[in-house]
Amino acid sequence: MFKLDRKLIITASTAAAVALFTLGCGGSTGTTESKKASKISIDGGVSYPVVNDKTGPYYVNPQVAQDAPKIYNGRVPTANELKAWNKDIMPDGTGLPEGSGSVEDGEEIYDAKCVMCHGDFGSGGGGYPALSKGNAYDLQKTLTNNRWKDPDADGPTREFGSYWPQASTLFWYIKDGMPHPFSKSLSDDEVYALVAYVLNINEMEIDGVEVDDEYVLDREKFLKIKMPNRNGFEPNIDGPNALPGVRAYYANAKNFGAQNLNQGAVRCMKDCQKASVKTKRINGGITGFLPPMSDVRDLPAVKEVKVDPKEVYKNACAMCHDSYLAPGSDEWAGYVAEGMDTVYAKAIKGTQGGMPAKGGTSLSDANFKTVVDYITTGKVK
Amino acid sequence: MNNKESQKVLDRRDFFKKTAALSVTAIAGTSLVSSNARADDPAIMNNVPWGQKWGDPVTANRYGVPSKYEHNVLRRNTKLLASGNFRASIAVAPIQESMGIITPNGLFFSRSHGGVAHVDPHEYRLMIHGLVEKPIVLTLEQLKRYPSVTRTHFIECPANGGQEWRGPQFNSIQFAKGFMSCAEWTGVYLKTILADLGLKPEAQWMLAEGSDNSEMGRTIPIDKVLDDAMIVWGQNGEALRPEQGYPVRILLPGWEGNLCVKWLKRLEFSTEPWYCKEETSKYTDLKPTGKAIQHFYANEVNSTVTSPSPEIDWTHLKDGDIVEIEGLAWSGMGTIKGVDLSFDGGKNYVEAKLKGLVLPKSWTRWSYIHTYKKGDVLQLTSRAMDDAGYIQPTIDQEVSVMGVEAVYHRNAVETWEVNAKGEVNHVQIRS
Ligand code: HEC
Ligand code: HEC
Repeated sequence: MFKLDRKLIITASTAAAVALFTLGCGGSTGTTESKKASKISIDGGVSYPVVNDKTGPYYVNPQVAQDAPKIYNGRVPTANELKAWNKDIMPDGTGLPEGSGSVEDGEEIYDAKCVMCHGDFGSGGGGYPALSKGNAYDLQKTLTNNRWKDPDADGPTREFGSYWPQASTLFWYIKDGMPHPFSKSLSDDEVYALVAYVLNINEMEIDGVEVDDEYVLDREKFLKIKMPNRNGFEPNIDGPNALPGVRAYYANAKNFGAQNLNQGAVRCMKDCQKASVKTKRINGGITGFLPPMSDVRDLPAVKEVKVDPKEVYKNACAMCHDSYLAPGSDEWAGYVAEGMDTVYAKAIKGTQGGMPAKGGTSLSDANFKTVVDYITTGKVK
Repeated sequence: MNNKESQKVLDRRDFFKKTAALSVTAIAGTSLVSSNARADDPAIMNNVPWGQKWGDPVTANRYGVPSKYEHNVLRRNTKLLASGNFRASIAVAPIQESMGIITPNGLFFSRSHGGVAHVDPHEYRLMIHGLVEKPIVLTLEQLKRYPSVTRTHFIECPANGGQEWRGPQFNSIQFAKGFMSCAEWTGVYLKTILADLGLKPEAQWMLAEGSDNSEMGRTIPIDKVLDDAMIVWGQNGEALRPEQGYPVRILLPGWEGNLCVKWLKRLEFSTEPWYCKEETSKYTDLKPTGKAIQHFYANEVNSTVTSPSPEIDWTHLKDGDIVEIEGLAWSGMGTIKGVDLSFDGGKNYVEAKLKGLVLPKSWTRWSYIHTYKKGDVLQLTSRAMDDAGYIQPTIDQEVSVMGVEAVYHRNAVETWEVNAKGEVNHVQIRS
C-alpha cells in the first residue's frame, strides 16, 4: 500500500496520488477505510482526506493537484553545490570524510576551543552539556535508574558514551555545530582528533582496543565504533521495513504511556481517584523569571533619547510656525517676557489660541523644552 | 488636566454645571469604594488627557506596536533553561494573557539551538535532493510561486511541562505550559512540490536541515511528508519572524516543535534515517525499562486551565461573582472533541464547553461559567479528548509507563489550586 503511493506520484496523475495518500498510507483496517471521514496516521493521530475539495474544515483548490507538477521553477543543483551542502554523516559512513587525528591533538584542541564551556575532561556544568561522566559501559547500566520508585537514587546518565546510539552523530555535530559561537570552523582532521578525545574521556574501546592517550583515530577505525547503547531505543527505525514497524508502535497507546478510548481507556466522570493520591505542592521549584512576572498595566519607565530640536521643528512645528512665531523671530519677545517657565507650561499644555499640547508631539517634557528653546531663540543650546 | 481647567470646560456646558459640582464634592468628600451613594466615576466625569489633545499622527508607527500599557505582556525565560548564553535556550509565551487561538507574532515562543539567525532573503536557497527524480534548488521567490495554503496550527516544544515529571516546579502557567504557541501559517504542502520533483519509491525518510549556526537537522518519515507537512513562509499574515525561522521553516502540523526545522536550507530523501543530535542525545524519552523512545513525533492530546492562573488570580473576586474559567486544549493527533473540568483535582468531572473555531492540530479554547464562592478551595483540573480517541492520562497512569526520566511528551492532566483567598498555585495530584 505504502510503496504504491509513491510510485503513483511518479507515474500517475497527481490528482489520483493526492487522493491515494490521503486515504491510504498508514491504514491497517483495510476496506472500510475509504468510507470514513478521516484515517489514522503514523503516530496514531487523525488525518483528514480531501473530500469535496475540503480537508477537514479547510477548502482546497483542486487545480493544484492537476497543475503543480508542471511548476518546476528552480534548477538542478550543480555537482559542486551538492558537494558543498550535502555534508551530513550517516551511521553507515555515508558522508564521513577521510582523515585522522590523535587523542593527544584532540586534548590540545579541546583545551583551546571547548573547555571554557564543556569543562575539564568534558564534565559540563553551568548549563553546558557534559561530554562524559566516566566509563561509557558502566554508565550505560544507569539508564534503568528511575527516580520515581526511589527519589533518592541517582538518575540515569545520558551523555555521549552511555546514551547515544551512533558515533556518526558526534562527528557530524562537532563538524557542523561546534564550537558553539563559531561553528563550521574545524578541519576534518581536527574533528577526528576531538572525536578521539571524546571517546578517550568516555573510556571507550574500538574493536577491542582501548582508546588510550596514544590512540590515533581514522575513518576505518571510526566505522568500527560500537556504541554501548546501540540497542537502547524503540521503535526500530533502521532497514527497509522500518516504517511499518513505526506505524505499528504508535498504533498501540500502551507503548508511549497514552490512554486511548478506542483501546480500552475509560473517560471516568465520578469518583475517579484512588484514595492513595495526594496533593503535591511546589517545593522550592524553578524561579528567577526574566523579566519578573507581572500583569500590571502602568506606563513603562522610558529611557530618554535626546532629539534634534531642528529636526523636530521641521517635522512637527514648521507647518504652523514658519509663518508666525518662527524660530528666533522678534514676535517671540512678548511671550518670552512672561518668563520661560510660563512659555514652557503653556506650550506643554496647549493654548486656546491654537497651539496644540506639545505641538502635537508625544515628546517628554525635557525633550520638548529643548525644542521650545530652539523655536524661541533660533539657536540650539 | 488639572481640576481648574476641566471645571472651565464643564462651565461651558450649562446642563452639566450642577452634576459636575456635585461629583467634585463627592470625590473629595467620600471614598469611592466604600460609598454606596453611587458616586460618579471621575473617569467618566472628567475630560481625559487623550480626549483633549492631538493623538499620534498616522505617520507615527509605520509598523504598529502594542499600547505602552501592555509592556508586561512578554516572552520570558529563566536561567535554569538556558545554555550557550541564551543561544541554546527558550523564551516562553505568556499564555495567561492570550486570547482566542492565535498567538501574536511578537509573543510566539522562541527556541533555538544556536541563536536566532538573521537570513538574507536574497541569499536564501532551498535544496531538495536525494531520492527524487528531479533535484532542485529554489530561491525564495521561486519557492513562493508554488500555490499556497493557509492553515492554523499550534507548535509545541515537546519539553512543554517536561520539568515537572517528578513534581510541580513552576508556579506559573507561562512557564508550566507556555512552551507553545498557535498561528495561521502560509506555505506550500511538501506533497505539492514532490508531485513536481517525483519521489522515488524506496525513499522512507527525509532530512530537514537548517542554515543556522547549529545547522539543526531532523529525520522525518515519508508518511508525514506526504500527509500534511508544509514548507511555510507566512505567519499570521506576514513573513515569518526571525525567531520562527525567517524566511522559511518546515511545519509538521501537531508534531514536535523541534521537528519543524527553522531557517530551512535542505531536504534530502533516503532509505535510512540520519541520527541527528536532536533525535539521539535529546528529544528521546527514556522509559523505566532503560529503553528510550526515539522518533517520538506527535504532541499528544493536552489541555490546561489558563484563567485563573498564578499570574492572574481570583483575589479580586467577591462572593457570588460569576466568572469564566477558561483554558486551552490541543492535540497533535487530530481535533479536540471535548474537555472535562474537575473542581476537586480529578476526582469528579463535568463537561466544559468548546468555543470559537475547533480546528485539527490547533489550539482550541474551552470555557466553563462558574459562580465564585469566597473562601472555597478548588483544585481545577482539565482533561481533553481528541478524535483519534486519545484522552489525557492521570499523572499516575502516565508515570506507570514512562517513569519520571522521560523529559519530553508529558501530557498528564494539570491542576491549579485556588486557595481560600483566591490565590492560584500549581499542584499535582498523584500517588
Ligand atoms: C561557547 C560555549 C561552547 C563552546 C566553546 C563549545 N561548545 Fe559544545 N555545546 C555548547 C552548547 C550550548 C551546547 C548545547 C547545544 C544545544 O542545546 O543544542 C553544546 C553541545 C555540544 C555537544 C553535544 C552534547 C550533547 O550531549 O548533546 C558536543 C558533542 C559538543 N558541544 C562538543 C564541543 C566541542 C568538541 C567543542 C570545541 C571544538 C565545543 N563543543 C565548544 C557550547 C559550547
Ligand atoms: C497647529 C499649529 C501649531 C503647531 C503644529 C505648533 N504650534 Fe506652537 N503655536 C501655535 C500658535 C497658533 C501659537 C500662538 C498661540 C497663542 O498665542 O495662544 C503657538 C505658540 C507657541 C508657543 C508659545 C506658547 C505661549 O503661549 O507662551 C511655543 C513655545 C510654541 N508654540 C512651540 C511650538 C513647538 C515647539 C512646536 C512643535 C513641536 C509647535 N509649537 C507646533 C500653533 C502651532
